[in-house]
Amino acid sequence: MTAVQERRLRELRSRMLVRAFDHRQRRHARGVWYRLRRVLTFASEAYSLPLEEAARLVAEGHRPEPVGRELEPSRVILFVPAERLAKIGSARRLAVRLNAETLSAECLALVPFEFGAAESAGSD
Amino acid sequence: MGPLPILIAVTFRDRLIATIRAARPVLESPGVLVIGSEVPNLLEKDSAATLVVSQDLDVGVPVDRHAALKPRLAELRLFEPSADEPSVWTPRSPELLELNFVGMDASQDPTEAYVLEDDRLPLLVFGALSLVSRGAEVEIGGTRLALPRPAGLLLEKLITDRTGEKGERDLLVALGVLATSAPEDLDELEGLYRRLRSELRHAVRSNLTILSLLAPRSGMPDPEPRRSEVAGLLRRLEAGEAEAP
Repeated sequence: MTAVQERRLRELRSRMLVRAFDHRQRRHARGVWYRLRRVLTFASEAYSLPLEEAARLVAEGHRPEPVGRELEPSRVILFVPAERLAKIGSARRLAVRLNAETLSAECLALVPFEFGAAESAGSD
Repeated sequence: MGPLPILIAVTFRDRLIATIRAARPVLESPGVLVIGSEVPNLLEKDSAATLVVSQDLDVGVPVDRHAALKPRLAELRLFEPSADEPSVWTPRSPELLELNFVGMDASQDPTEAYVLEDDRLPLLVFGALSLVSRGAEVEIGGTRLALPRPAGLLLEKLITDRTGEKGERDLLVALGVLATSAPEDLDELEGLYRRLRSELRHAVRSNLTILSLLAPRSGMPDPEPRRSEVAGLLRRLEAGEAEAP
C-alpha cells in the first residue's frame, strides 16, 4: 500500500467515525443543525418577521416548529402560507440558506412547498 | 482577465473527449465503467461538459474484472502511472485529463474501504461504490463506454461524507444526476435507499438538506430552481421511516 493510499484510507475511516458519532447524536443537541436544515429544505421562501407579527401568527394557530426552541437564543420558526405572509408589510425576504442572516432572524416565517411539507416538517 | 467561461468549457470538453478516446482500451474492457463527476458532464446533450469539476476521469473497475483489465494497460500509450499514486495515470499531453482508477466491490459494506494490492494497478476500493452498477452504454469519441445507473450513482454521492468545497461541488454533481433522472430512476433510488441501514439513510437525508441550502456556484447546476425536487425526494424518503418524520 502506498503512503497516499494509506492516508486516504485513514481519512475515510476517520470520516466514517465522525459520521457514526453524528448519527448517534441525531436526537440530541448536536442534531439540531440537521433538524434546522430539514425544516429549511421544506421551505420555498423564507422571511424575517418582527416578534409581534410572529406572535400574531401563533395566535392565529400557526404552530412554531420545535427546532426553533432548540437553539440558543431560541427562535420562532413558523410555516405560513404565502398569501398570509403577503399581508405582512414588515416581512423581509431572506435567501433559504443556513447562513448568518437566517440565523440572526429572531422570527422566521417559511412558505412551504406546495406538496404540503408543513405537515411533515416536525422534528426528527 | 482570464479566458471566457465558454472557452474554458469548450476546451475542457475537447480534453474530456480526447481522454476518452485515448483511454479506449481500458474503457472498453468488460465491466469497466466511467463514474464520478464527469458522468453528468457526459449526460449533457452532446456531452457538452459544462460543469466545472476536477480534471480527471474516474474509471470504475469491479474487482472481479481487475485481472482482465490489466493486460490492456499496456495499450494506454498516452498515460503513465503516477509515482505517488499508481492508481492515477497521468497524461503525457496537457490536452488530456488524468485517469483515476477506482475499485468497486458489490459485496462490500458501503462504509468500508480497502486497498486491492497489485504491482501494476493497485486500487483503493470504496464501499460506497458498491451501490453503483453498470447502466447505459454510450458512444463518445468513437469509444463505447458504460455509465452507471443514475440511481446508484446518486445514492453513492449522497451517502459519501460531504464537507468543504469539494464536498459541496460533489453534491452539486449529485444535483446534476438528479436533474437527468427519470421517475423510474427515483423509484430505483428509493428501493436502494430502503436497503441501507439507519445510519446511511440518515446520511442521505442529511446530504439532501445540505444540497437544498447550497448557494449557486459558477459552472455548476444551480440548486435554487431544483429545491422543490430535492424537498420532494427528502419527503419521499422520510415517508417510509419509522424514526423520522
